[in-house]
Formats: sequence, structure tokens, C-alpha cells
Amino acid sequence: MAGGAGAERVSTAQATATRTLVVEDDPHLAAGLAENLRAEGYAVDMAADGRLALTWLRENSCELVVLDVMLPHIDGFTLCRTLRAEGNNTPVLFLTARGDPQDRVLGLEAGGDDYLAKPFHLDEFLLRVRAILRRWEWYRKASATPQSAVLRFGGNEIDFRAFRARSWNGAAQELTEKEAMILKVLAERPGEIVSREDLLERVWGYDVFPSTRTVDNFILRLRKRFERDPANPRHFLTVWGVGYRFLIEGGA
Amino acid sequence: MKRTRVFEITALLLVIVSVIQVGWWVYDQHDYSTQKLRDARSAYAREVAAAQALLAAGAPAERVHELLPGVAIVNGSARSSGAVDAAVVAERQRRINQYAWESGFFLLALALCVGVIWRALRAETKVLQEQDSFLALVSHQFKTPLASLQLSLETMAKRQLSPEQSRTLMDRMLADLTRMESMVSRILDSVRLERGRVDLRSEPVELAAAVGRVVSQFEERARQERIAVTADVPRGLTVLADPLAVDVVVRNLLENALAAVAAVSGGSVKFTACAANGEIELSVRDSGVGFRTADSARLFKKFSRLHPGGGGSHNGTGLGLFIVRRLMQLTGGRVSAHSIGVGQGALFVLSWPAAPGQSV
Repeated sequence: MAGGAGAERVSTAQATATRTLVVEDDPHLAAGLAENLRAEGYAVDMAADGRLALTWLRENSCELVVLDVMLPHIDGFTLCRTLRAEGNNTPVLFLTARGDPQDRVLGLEAGGDDYLAKPFHLDEFLLRVRAILRRWEWYRKASATPQSAVLRFGGNEIDFRAFRARSWNGAAQELTEKEAMILKVLAERPGEIVSREDLLERVWGYDVFPSTRTVDNFILRLRKRFERDPANPRHFLTVWGVGYRFLIEGGA
Repeated sequence: MKRTRVFEITALLLVIVSVIQVGWWVYDQHDYSTQKLRDARSAYAREVAAAQALLAAGAPAERVHELLPGVAIVNGSARSSGAVDAAVVAERQRRINQYAWESGFFLLALALCVGVIWRALRAETKVLQEQDSFLALVSHQFKTPLASLQLSLETMAKRQLSPEQSRTLMDRMLADLTRMESMVSRILDSVRLERGRVDLRSEPVELAAAVGRVVSQFEERARQERIAVTADVPRGLTVLADPLAVDVVVRNLLENALAAVAAVSGGSVKFTACAANGEIELSVRDSGVGFRTADSARLFKKFSRLHPGGGGSHNGTGLGLFIVRRLMQLTGGRVSAHSIGVGQGALFVLSWPAAPGQSV
């Protein structure tokens, strides 16, 4: 871990291990996070400021970014927004000293996957890292075959791997990773009732968002994009008091 | 905040109601006196008519004038005298004027009172807000070293570590504690300085020795961060100041310079000193990140941090330079900051009065 032997172990494991990037300007915290991630078998790269991180992420790929919010040069939120705007969907776990709910929402709106307030428990940090990676692994596996990579309904076509879609009127749509994940969860269980809590759990993980209303907002957005008449949906149906039902064929 | 808003609305309503009230008074007075004027005029017209009737009935003019002194009798016929009418009109104008002035004064006094209370409330709200932001900032800045400390401890609890690894973590934890300790003392210093609750002495302080002491305490850290710290202060320069204040000021400037240089991955910090015009100047020049020339005044404000994230300084409280300026002011000295731009290094100049008995 802290010693030279650990570094050798990491370099040999690098080829197969899940690759992560720790972006943190505090040297102690950065070192502590990296050591613990390595001890869990992840390969870790480090960046001490936002600009270095952005350069690294443009040239390399990894499966998770642990991102401090207060960073020199480019702050974490801006960095995350920049990545998303460039079409980089690498999952992001925000670390921040500000833990109030507005800040949390701000982080998730910037395109983050989860949000952890300093100081945090090591076990919780590792748990959240695992949870994010698990969600993405599920998503990747669920989109692995040519059949599962594409979803067609009501004239719409969703490409889960490219995060793109073409709606019934021919408009090209960029999907955020959350929209894609919600579509994936619904597409896996067509015709079944999927509860809001279920969607929250599968897409965001536990206790991330303050309310299930967020899910409703996402469904509204999907309707606006993929329903011919968003006010009278035929594919994304509300089941009052429970959640949603997705119909491929379309119904009332 | 909320209280001020409630007060503002209440005061505004009060002023509006008062203005309406005053308007009503003046209008009412005008209305009343118009009525009075009309009554007076018709009574007078009746007097004139009566005088005329008496004259027509053959009453002597002197007798009629005696009975009705307000009526003028010219060439044997009764006429209205302009003087009476003018007196009534003047009385009416006087009353209206009186009300207008009195209520104007009343409104002015009210507005003044409202203004004074409003200002007091605003000042209090500002103090409260400053305290809030102070607390938010302070707690925010403690969270990173706390997180680091907790992480190190939980790592030790969770994992099997070799003795060297444990040593590394313990060193880290000690460093984190030192960081927090120095943050606490800075906050306490700044609070004390702000309230003026410090007893500062004024005695000769040998500058070379004072700078040397501080520099030696930072040698280890400077070496680790590949920063060359040199002190070229001639022996015998003695300033008139508080020895502890000199120590704090030099320490804060050195810490500041080290952080600025560490942010550009190494460089140098140089202390030089000279005497001029009865003052002694100590210059601290670093090859660090520097700052925009326009920001040189802002540097010394409380909580001003020019570089987001501290410009590489991870334990900045935004109080260091505030403390420096305050201490210099209190001990009769000055401090100034110079940089020709970001990435161009910086120069801080301290000047104290020279202690007497020196060939300055």
C-alpha cells in the first residue's frame, strides 16, 4: 500500500484491474484514497487539479472518476459538465466538503453518479464505488448483444451503447447516462409495473436523491422525446401511486 | 434577512399611511376653511345689505357705522370693505400653512426615525451574515484535514499494514493534526486582532535572528517540496515592534510563499532586508504563482483566496495575510504586496520603524 512493494503489485495488476482516476488536490487524502482503492484491487491513477484531470481523461479511459469538487484551475462540477458535453460518460463519484442537499443536487445535475460529503467513512466510500461500478457493469452487460444494444418502440430507436436515439419524427437525440439507464431498466421488463423506488435503486443507487420525484422528472423528459403526444403517453404509462409501466407496442 | 424585510414593509406601510393622513388633514382643513370663508362672506353680505337698508330708511351714516363697523359707507351708500374679506382669506391661508408645515415636519421626523432603525437593522444583519459565512468557511476548511484523518485511521483499523505503512499513515495523521492546530490558532488570532484584544509591546527586535528562527522551523518542509529558502538579512538591523507579532508576520508570509511556490512545483523564497529613512524593510520574494496586479489590495481582506482551491495551498484559511496586515498596523508598521501577474512570483514588503540608536 504505502510502500514500494504495493506499487509493484499495482503495476502488474494494471492490465486486468478496473481502472479508476482519483482527482483530489489534498495530497494526504489523495494518497489515502488511492491506497485503499489499490488494496481493493482497482488500478488507480491520480490527478491533483482539474486541468490535469481533464487532459488525462481526454487521452485515457477509466471506469470511475473519484472527483473532488473544490479543485485548482477547474472545479469538479465544471469538469464533470465538460466531460458530459464532450460525450464522455465515465461514471463520477463526487467528494466534497459541502454536504447540503442543494449541493448534492447540483453535483448530480452536473452529471455525477453519486456524491459523498467529507469527512466520510472508508467503508461507505468503498461501498459507493462498488455500487457505481456494479450499476455500470449491469448496464454494459445488458447492452452487450446486438439485440439488447438497440431498443425499438413506436418508431423510436434507442442505441444503448452510443447513448444516442432517433425519435419517431426523425430527430436525433443525445441520451444522458441516467436516461439511458432508465430506458434500460424499463426495456428489460416491458409490460411490468416498475416502482419508482426500484428505478431509483437501479439507476442512482441508495439514498442519493432526496425524493422519488426526480424519477418522475426523468420520465416526463423521456415522454417529451419519445411520445407522439406526451400528454397522452402510449409507451411510458403512469401507474398511480406505484410507478411506471413501459409498453413496446403502445397502449392507452 | 427576514426580520429586516418585515421591518422594511412595516415602515413603508407606516410612511404611506402617515402621508395619506397628512394629506387628509390638509384637505379637511382646506374644505373646512372654504366653508367658513363662504359663511363669513354671506354674513358680511347680509351686514352690507342691512347697512344699505338702514341708510335707505334714513338712518344717519354715523349711527350705521357704529352698529356695523365692518361696513364701509361711501357717499351715503354701503359697500363691502376689502379689508375684512382679506382678513378672512389670510386666516384661512394661515391655518392651511400651519397644518402643512406641522405635518411636513412630522413626516420628516418619522422618515428619519425609520431610516435610523433601518440602518441599525441592516448593520446587524450584515454582522450576522458575516458570522454565518465565517462559520461556514471555517467548518468547510476543517473538513478536508478531518476527512484525511478519518481515512488514515479507518485504513489502519481495516487493513493489515506493515510497520512502514503504519508509520506513513501516522506521519500523515500527525501532519493533519498540525494543520488543524495551525488553522485553529489562526482563527483565534484573527478574532482577537479584530476585537483589538491584544497587548502588543514595542521593543527592539533583532530582525536577522527573528527571521532565522522562523526559517529554521520550515527547513524540513521546504526541502520536501524542493523549495530553496534563503535569508539574507544583515545582522544589527533592529526594529521597534512586538517580538511575537514579528514572529507571526514572518511565519505567515513564509507559509504563504511556500504554498505559492509549491503550487508551481518548486522554486525559491528569498528574505532580504535594508534600512532607509528611519524604517527597516524586510522583503519576501518568491517564485510562486503570484497574482494579478489588480488583486494586490484584495489579498489582505479576510477570507480572500485568489486561487480556487487555494492555489495548491491546502490549508489556507484566507486569514494569514489578514492577520499580517492587522498586526503590522497595530505595531506601527506597513505591509505591501507586489506581483506583475499570475505565474510571475510575488514580493511582500514589511516595514517597521527602526529602533533608536541605530545608524539608519
